[in-house]
Amino acid sequence: MRNKADNRSDHILTGLDGLHKAAAPDFFYTRLIARMQKESLSEKRAFFIFSPAFITVSLFILFVLNIVSISRFDKRPEMNDTLHIEKPATIETFAEAYELMSASVYE
Amino acid sequence: MTEKELIIGLCNKDETAFRELVRLFQDKVYNTALGLLQQDNDAEDIAQEVFIQVYRSIQSFKENSSLSTWIYRITITKSLDHLRKKKRKKRFGLVKHLFGENNEPLIDQADFNHPGILRERKEDAQILFGLVNGLPKNQRTAFLLNKVEELSYREIASILNTTEQAVDSLLQRAKQNLRKKINKFPR
Repeated sequence: MRNKADNRSDHILTGLDGLHKAAAPDFFYTRLIARMQKESLSEKRAFFIFSPAFITVSLFILFVLNIVSISRFDKRPEMNDTLHIEKPATIETFAEAYELMSASVYE
Repeated sequence: MTEKELIIGLCNKDETAFRELVRLFQDKVYNTALGLLQQDNDAEDIAQEVFIQVYRSIQSFKENSSLSTWIYRITITKSLDHLRKKKRKKRFGLVKHLFGENNEPLIDQADFNHPGILRERKEDAQILFGLVNGLPKNQRTAFLLNKVEELSYREIASILNTTEQAVDSLLQRAKQNLRKKINKFPR
């Protein structure tokens, strides 16, 4: 004999009977096309970064920047050399620079 | 426009063919996604993704099955993937919640009301939709395709790439499991 619980579960199980199918929202196609255009635009942008033209130009700029920095760096040691000649780095010069020559710490 | 002409048009990226495809399938795709996801915005999002995928990968369509079957398969795969991602996010959210970073309540989408439900069955349908979420993936898909999309066993078998007997067995098991869950459900 079927009890109340079975009747209840049978009733709930038929809860979707007579259901009408849901329709896609209004302007679905318009929104879909807008999304596709937006996505293809961002893909084009991403693709541009990996294009040979963009890579070549980037490498050229990097190369020029390297040359410029190397040529500037080459000049610096000469200036340092003159400084070395004028005043070679010794313990005295170091102590003088940091004021460690005084005899007392209370000075 | 026949299915063959539609496919040729889509392969040639013809806009008229694509518009026709969307007109023919938008309600089916949306309704299926809505049944599985139980969220209007998510269903629309997934329906859009389905059409984008169809447009992009129509060349890979082998014509072993009908276009309709192929589109249903994409819809189901995308919807289930979306649910999986959502679940993962929710789990991460729970961890964040435990550590006090996020104070948002984590509530399930239990109060879903399908727009096509009869008014007098609203309460039963709400309970049923909530319980369907706890079914195994295959049972849930077969049950919703049968009840929400009103597809025949043959069509469901074709979509799930199985036999009609297997679909029948899936539906029987789904009903058994739902019956158990209903009996445990508070009145």
